[in-house]
Amino acid sequence: MRPSDSHEVSQLNELKIDVGALIVGGYYALSGQCVMVEQMPIFGGYSGGLEETAIVDVATTLNTFVMMQGTWHLDGPVHVRWGITTAREALAVAGHAGRAVEENTHILSGNQYYTLAGPCTVMCLLETAAQSITDTASGREVLSGVASAKGVLTDMFTAMEARFMGEVAHGVAGMDLHQVNIMLDKLVSLYEGKYKTAPEGKPFDECYDPVTLIPTEEYVGVYNEAIKIMTDLGLNYWK
Amino acid sequence: MQAIAKPVSVFDVYDRAKSGPEMAEADWDFGVIPTVAKKLKEKYKIKMDPKVMIPEDKTLIDTLFQAGVDMLVECGVYCIDTNRVIKYTRDEVLTAIKNAPRHFTFGEDQEAINVVERPYNSPLPPVIQGGPTGSPCSEKYFLAIHQSYAQEPICDTIVNGVLQTVLGKDPVPESPWEIMAVRSELLQVREAMSRAGRAGMGL
Repeated sequence: MRPSDSHEVSQLNELKIDVGALIVGGYYALSGQCVMVEQMPIFGGYSGGLEETAIVDVATTLNTFVMMQGTWHLDGPVHVRWGITTAREALAVAGHAGRAVEENTHILSGNQYYTLAGPCTVMCLLETAAQSITDTASGREVLSGVASAKGVLTDMFTAMEARFMGEVAHGVAGMDLHQVNIMLDKLVSLYEGKYKTAPEGKPFDECYDPVTLIPTEEYVGVYNEAIKIMTDLGLNYWK
Repeated sequence: MQAIAKPVSVFDVYDRAKSGPEMAEADWDFGVIPTVAKKLKEKYKIKMDPKVMIPEDKTLIDTLFQAGVDMLVECGVYCIDTNRVIKYTRDEVLTAIKNAPRHFTFGEDQEAINVVERPYNSPLPPVIQGGPTGSPCSEKYFLAIHQSYAQEPICDTIVNGVLQTVLGKDPVPESPWEIMAVRSELLQVREAMSRAGRAGMGL
């Protein structure tokens, strides 16, 4: 690792730590590393509901800088039932906590992405877009992803999801917040009723030629479908 | 906010983890956290509309922040190894927030990015960190997968996946194979960046 890489250490749910993390943090502090402290508060977990989880999320974010003298905080509010960061409730926690910290401090923070649907599906890209919009319009500095299909299946993620995360972020940056919220509500409504039937998607070697590293025609077609939906919702990046 | 003798360090935190109030972990998880969070929600009258993902009301934004500060000060942080609570004063928390970095450099050379504070309505896009975010990768495709992220111009940095096996072995935590897997991940991600012509990318 280089000093300019982010050196990670994680807190535990909720507002907990282990001695091993403090040892790692001690090494990072003394060696002058760029320190990224990660934590994913659970909506519906120990904290409780929306407001309680958002309060804990703010506290957890601040703890990064008290406990570890972190350089930046990597958030990731996650839904207890679905294990994803793109559910409406998880987005609302991230959007509120991120905006509260952004308004009241100069702290640098990011958010990480876990979708329910897998690669090469429109749903996966729409989930990604919803979080990218939430993070960008709440003042996050770093978007980190995408762990598609909940990040638990081998090779079930591709760079096409990361491209979409980035293009949506570039498109939404600077947009009027009220318009963004209207767009987000419509966007989340397009996929939140499909959790039980979410498409599994395809692994990397069926989404890309693994030798030439070119995405398949099928995935480019899916990507263009998602672009059309986002454009119809009012995002102008691809016009 | 009042002056404090010195900012909290991770070494102070360790000492407090050895000397703070004792508590059973279940009491923390099922008692302290939900009770204090609920109390602060009611104290500050915080109410979120699930149809509004990002708050537009300044009062809600500021009270949520104050509740978060209160949560950290009132609860502290629980150490699962010592079963003790690490406590901070309010001024220690506020001092740490004041002292937090305002920027940092991610990556090197032509790929170096200066990460700076961006307001919610900034036309400056956030840093795009592309990658599997800790998801499991096969040995067969680890390098190709990471090169496919590095070749995306919109990806500023890489967040890597983890090898599911190394030399066919399960990299069990706290085993030598875990060290080999981590080392192999680092070398292959660097190789992927170099093959994409972006050796300086941050990781």
